[in-house]
Amino acid sequence: MVKQILIIPSIFFLIIVSIFFYLLIIDRNPSEIPSNLINKTIPFFETESLFKNKKFISSEEFGNEIVLVNFFATWCKPCRDEHGYIKKFQSKEKLRIIGINYKDDPEKANAWLKDLGNPYSDVPLDKNGRIAIDWGVYGIPETFVISSDGIIKYRHVGPITKKIYKKINLLIATLKLKK
Amino acid sequence: MINKIFVTLVSFLFFFNLLNISYAVEPNEIMKNKDHEIRARNISKNVRCMICQNQSIDESNAPLAKDLRVLIRNEIKKGKSDDEIYFFLTERYGDFILLKPPLKLNTLALWFLPFVFLVVGVLILFFYNKKYRKV
Amino acid sequence: MIPSLGNFTLWLSLFFAVFQFFSSRKNKNIKYISLAVIFLFFSSLISFFLLIYSHVISDFSVINVVQNSHTTKPLLYKIAGVWGNHEGSMLLWMLVLTLVNYFIFKLLNKKNSSFILKTLEIQAFIIIGFLLFTIFTSNPFLRVFPAQLEGLGFNPILQDPALAIHPPLLYIGYVGFSAAFSMSVATLILNNKKNIFWYNYMKPFVIGAWTFLTIGIALGSVWAYYELGWGGWWFWDPVENASFMPWLIGTALLHSLIIVEKRKSLQAWVLLLAILAFLLSVIGTFLVRSGILTSVHTFALDPSRGIYILIFTALLGGYSLILFGVKSRKFFDNNYFSSFSKEGSILINNIFMTVVCATVFLGTIYPLLVEAFTNNKISVGEPYYNSTVIPIMIPAIIVMGIGPILSWGKEDKLKILKKIIPSVLITLIMTIAIFLFYKSYSILGFAGIILSFWIISNNVLNIIRKNKAYSMSMFIAHLGVGLLILGITGSSVWQDEKIVKMKVKNEIKIKNYNIIFDQIVEIKGINYIAVRGNFLVRDDEKKIITKLKPENRFYPITNIFTSEASIHSNLFRDLYIVLGEGNMANGWVVRIYYNPLVIWIWIGSLLIFLGGIVSLNTNLKKLLKW
Repeated sequence: MVKQILIIPSIFFLIIVSIFFYLLIIDRNPSEIPSNLINKTIPFFETESLFKNKKFISSEEFGNEIVLVNFFATWCKPCRDEHGYIKKFQSKEKLRIIGINYKDDPEKANAWLKDLGNPYSDVPLDKNGRIAIDWGVYGIPETFVISSDGIIKYRHVGPITKKIYKKINLLIATLKLKK
Repeated sequence: MINKIFVTLVSFLFFFNLLNISYAVEPNEIMKNKDHEIRARNISKNVRCMICQNQSIDESNAPLAKDLRVLIRNEIKKGKSDDEIYFFLTERYGDFILLKPPLKLNTLALWFLPFVFLVVGVLILFFYNKKYRKV
Repeated sequence: MIPSLGNFTLWLSLFFAVFQFFSSRKNKNIKYISLAVIFLFFSSLISFFLLIYSHVISDFSVINVVQNSHTTKPLLYKIAGVWGNHEGSMLLWMLVLTLVNYFIFKLLNKKNSSFILKTLEIQAFIIIGFLLFTIFTSNPFLRVFPAQLEGLGFNPILQDPALAIHPPLLYIGYVGFSAAFSMSVATLILNNKKNIFWYNYMKPFVIGAWTFLTIGIALGSVWAYYELGWGGWWFWDPVENASFMPWLIGTALLHSLIIVEKRKSLQAWVLLLAILAFLLSVIGTFLVRSGILTSVHTFALDPSRGIYILIFTALLGGYSLILFGVKSRKFFDNNYFSSFSKEGSILINNIFMTVVCATVFLGTIYPLLVEAFTNNKISVGEPYYNSTVIPIMIPAIIVMGIGPILSWGKEDKLKILKKIIPSVLITLIMTIAIFLFYKSYSILGFAGIILSFWIISNNVLNIIRKNKAYSMSMFIAHLGVGLLILGITGSSVWQDEKIVKMKVKNEIKIKNYNIIFDQIVEIKGINYIAVRGNFLVRDDEKKIITKLKPENRFYPITNIFTSEASIHSNLFRDLYIVLGEGNMANGWVVRIYYNPLVIWIWIGSLLIFLGGIVSLNTNLKKLLKW
């Protein structure tokens, strides 16, 4: 009986080491937090729009087709870095993209989009950051994939990279198939 | 005069600093009702700053931390309870935002094992005790 | 040329380590072994100095220098910067490892040769493992061509004396436990057929490692308190936990070695603790450097490094623990203890230290476990540890009060009662005095004060009585623990804070002090410009007791802002001011903290360190005589 007890520390140790191995091998980002809104309906919001005269009401704008939502700001450098990919989503993949302007100056946002190109079909303004909080956003830029029935399917924190661009396209392809 | 310009310039620069310095709660956030303020501080101490390394929103001066501090105080003013406020936050950010892990199925082991360790330890003490061995 | 030479010395060290491994294992020629040990040490010393040299002359053809140094860094911090990064710190780790190796070798004599040679063989294996890791995944001598014009390493927050010496002290701790590990494994392999007093050899290494680990951890906390701007000094960050766990096991090991020495009992338990102490150091290294989790302390994240260290850890831990499982039965004895004896109280201490360590380990890796098994992430922060560790520590500390003065074997309960009456009285008096002074009551404060004065009075009385029956070093170290608890309690429970907006000439009252915002000035430092607030502090008799001058600095070269708190310390409290944002028109945000009894945390830690040094001295003398 004592012999069995004595071997316990080593078994315990090897189990923990295996778990560490698993975590090192898989593709994970230790600092990224998974969104709590995956597979939930998008949070409702109503706010001013940058370009259009009428208000942006989320229940009217989502739930018709697959949409990308991109939280961005002019003062955010990684947002500028990833903008090329956002434009590519619109021009190449013909996706509808809503760009939520986070804690920014609308005039600056206008100029920024004129300068860099505007891939967004609409730009609702989140001046005080409350919409971002409702979406669980903690570090812009953040990009969400919304299915055609208004469910959040995926969230990426940080600028879009080549890898993530491919991943999102793959996800959207599978979503289209499911329809 | 040059002093004044200099001081204004440097403090202006500080306004845009988002780096390491922790200032945390600002005077204009402090609620007039003392009990409310204490509640706000206690809740904030349990809420993680999502973009910092291991700090609560009470300690961090990150913009999101400030926004959440203000939001928590507004919810308290609206009469929400501590639990309702925690629920509000975890709905949006998941359990990760809480520094004290909530007691759920996936944290049962976390909360009960220390007690189990203690019991095992005390049992070992009895095992080694002269009096009990004799019995 | 120098960096290539440095790289060469790393390979040279590897050669000598392998040489040491095979000579201790096979041919056992003392001359060869002594050559290997000495050359191994010098080779690793030279690697270390060559890296320092590269940093000091700002050789920006070396990647490590580019990433971590800067021409404007003061000389002291150019040197300290060598071990402030991952690759350079590995060279420091190697240096201490080869030095410990040398001390093990110095113990060699005819009688203990099989034991010491086996120990050296295992130590050589450890050295080889870390050398391979350094050379292949973390080589500080890698070059970049063309050489860069300037370095990137300029974080003013890291340019601090406490932070400079914090890693070397910690490493003496972590690496010192390697000797205990190697000796334990050697004993298990050889079954101690020759009846070597392995515990006598192990003890000085354990005391040395534990003592320096204590002061290393304390310095990290001192730095955090003075630099980070809100008076915090412990955050249960995974890397802090990684240093705390070996310390807890080290404490248990230290105390149970006493039992093994005196009673030859608990040998199997001590062999296990010796393995665990170093294993936890290595697991800590893994957690910090592998990228498996993020923390303020983590070095550059690289999973390939992580896999290597994990494999090495798995080999080291798997082998030693399986060996323990199979061989330790032979070291069991049939001694049992009475609870009211020295052995009993040491055993109680051991149980509690181990339970706390297991709890801290659980809290630290739990987020990783949840992530592995579910797709969720949770966080385990300070509130968890406060709820679990503190309640468990409390009985351990109570026992610490009387344990040291109990005798070996059963003690007469009446005699014990008589011995402790004076300290019980002092404890009650001091507790009442403190509560009358601070006028704020809390259960935790109550518990903390009673416990701390219980420990303090017991040990002070024993020191005054010059109680020769017990070791002075123990009284000093335990007194240190009592003072440490006093400081922790005071600063946690009775902290007062004022956050206000002040314009120049405004006043504010905190406790019985009046703080007056006298003026704002500009400061030009060596490599920074700053805004400084001059504050006058008056006590209730209107006397100015000090001027506090917090600054907000801007370092133009690297675009970094820092905030320097201004602190006035005395034995009773710290007054701590931080200047926030603001301007002349609207005023400035000012944060003032009244932190009671903080200085006792540092004094207590220092006393623990001194007690350890005295004990180390005593034990070394014993060993040499022997």
